[in-house]
Amino acid sequence: MHDIVNLEAAGLAGVFLASTEFIDAAAAQARALGADPAVVFVPHPIQDRTDDELRALADDALDAVLASITGSPPER
Amino acid sequence: MTAVETRLPDGLVAIVKRECPTCTLVAPVLAELRAKHPGPVTIYSQDDPSFPETTGGAIDDRDLEVSFSLELDTVPTLLRVEGGRETARTVGWSRDHWAELTGISTLGAGLPEYRPGCGSRTQDPAIALAHATALGERTLRSRRLDLGAEEDDAEAMYERGWSDGLPLVPPTPARVVRMLTGTTRDSQEIVATIPPDLVDCTVEKVAINAVMAGCRPEYLPVVLAAVEAACTDEFNMHGLLATTWFSGPVIVVNGPITRAIGMNSGINALGPGNRANATIGRALQLVIRNVGGGRPGAVDRATLGQPGKYTCCFAEHEDAYWDTLHVERGYRPEQNTVTLFAGEGVRGVVDQLSRTPESLTRSFAACLRTTAHPKLPIAFDAMLIVTPDHLRVYEEAGWSKARFRAELGALLQIDGHEMVRGADGIEEGIPGSLADVTLPKFRDGGLLIAHAGGGAGLFSGIIGGWASGKMGSEPVTREVGS
Amino acid sequence: MTTLLDPTSEQTPGTRERAPRPSTLEGRTIGLLDITKARGDVFLDRIAERLEGLGHTVVRFAKPTFTKPAPIDLRHEISTKCDVVIEALAD
Repeated sequence: MHDIVNLEAAGLAGVFLASTEFIDAAAAQARALGADPAVVFVPHPIQDRTDDELRALADDALDAVLASITGSPPER
Repeated sequence: MTAVETRLPDGLVAIVKRECPTCTLVAPVLAELRAKHPGPVTIYSQDDPSFPETTGGAIDDRDLEVSFSLELDTVPTLLRVEGGRETARTVGWSRDHWAELTGISTLGAGLPEYRPGCGSRTQDPAIALAHATALGERTLRSRRLDLGAEEDDAEAMYERGWSDGLPLVPPTPARVVRMLTGTTRDSQEIVATIPPDLVDCTVEKVAINAVMAGCRPEYLPVVLAAVEAACTDEFNMHGLLATTWFSGPVIVVNGPITRAIGMNSGINALGPGNRANATIGRALQLVIRNVGGGRPGAVDRATLGQPGKYTCCFAEHEDAYWDTLHVERGYRPEQNTVTLFAGEGVRGVVDQLSRTPESLTRSFAACLRTTAHPKLPIAFDAMLIVTPDHLRVYEEAGWSKARFRAELGALLQIDGHEMVRGADGIEEGIPGSLADVTLPKFRDGGLLIAHAGGGAGLFSGIIGGWASGKMGSEPVTREVGS
Repeated sequence: MTTLLDPTSEQTPGTRERAPRPSTLEGRTIGLLDITKARGDVFLDRIAERLEGLGHTVVRFAKPTFTKPAPIDLRHEISTKCDVVIEALAD
């Protein structure tokens, strides 16, 4: 999350993707950094998913990702 | 700082600590009181609630809340309380005083008549300081920023845009409380309305920025006066920020306070090396940028800027041959003042050969002629800082400051022909219609003369000013309060 | 934990604000930063594929290790080449 916060400070709109296991840790890190970056969560687990399952997770996350880095609804 | 009132139980109240031999001495007397006194006897212990054993211990006052509220100096202290109010108090052990207070004459048989007490724990310097700080911190109103565990406090202040580019002292609540001890003013008093955002700025906000600048508490009254002076309509801080010209506030401090807080009027008076000079000027700038919102690139659009905008603050020599700036401006020598001047950078005047006041004055005139531009009279102010070696020429010749001003003024009457646009092949200048007029380089009141600097060096200094009058800035003097 | 008192007029929020969002990604370069935890590359490959399918320009980056923040050079490169950035995938 440091990277996103630093890149935001440089003027880039950013979003950080993490598994739902990371929800509490993400909140704590954000507080620790005094920032509030955009985060999109994907359902845990990650490590033992098949490639197809991971691609499906990416498809599912795409709308939220695009919404977080633009000022308007995502294109389709 | 006033103590918080605690409602006391009626009857007799004693405060003791185990660590005090006199308290140990009177431990049996306290037991006696329990037995003989008709009303309640309440005992507080500052260090160990199991003391005194003779009374089965005491109420725990290790956090010293009751002790602080009673403003104790000494233990044991014995009080009589009626209707929730203290009506009598005695400290240490004295049979007579205890008898008088309690109405029981037979106390402490076998004890000496009298034994002084010990210091109350509330008098311990570290404890007293922590208590005052905690009390003070509760009165602070500014928003608190809790830095993340991973944040470096120096970096965090930079990242939040609080810095002028140089590092800051982190303004913790304890530091701000300590800074506020430097003034008697209430922390929530409004000092000034700060441009450009026109924010009402409290003493507390000034204190926070003064901490960041590196000030000591005793500098705070000077900083407060500087903020007040800078935010007057006449000084026109807003205009000064918004102009593309690069003047910034220069602070000249006068009066006994300059010695009291250790300011520098001598060698390097306008240079680095003195904490008071450096941090007072910086604190003013930080208040303007942080509270007022006057940041470079935003409202502050100075084309080039100059290093004096980090800080420019100095003290004059106070008992020199000439009147000080503040005396010239109508104050008594013993008054403490700040004078704010919209100044650019400092340039030097070299004159190592003039032995007469006439010659030296002509040097000054020649150099002053060129402030802003040799062909621009009246519109811009200036400050001349005459250093000791140069002042000696005037002292030896018996020229008062007033005489110097008059002679200098006469030399700065300039023929319009020299200054009209196009003269000397320079397009800048005054309108051609003024060719036949003689104009003074400086308007009335447009030239400030100060005296500072080290004892060796035949070099004086000129600080050019900004535009004068309604569109520009007027030098402003304010008395330093407490 | 260090507490500091706010020296400003407090007219802006205390937490560091997010950078402004562009109204559209058309013509913008999107950086994808892989934190290099296992399987994250498959996820990002698909994100890249979908974004390119929408006609966007995508540039891929990877941290040398997920255990530390990205090196300054890498951050600088991303900030100069890209307009927005997507970092993935922490678990």
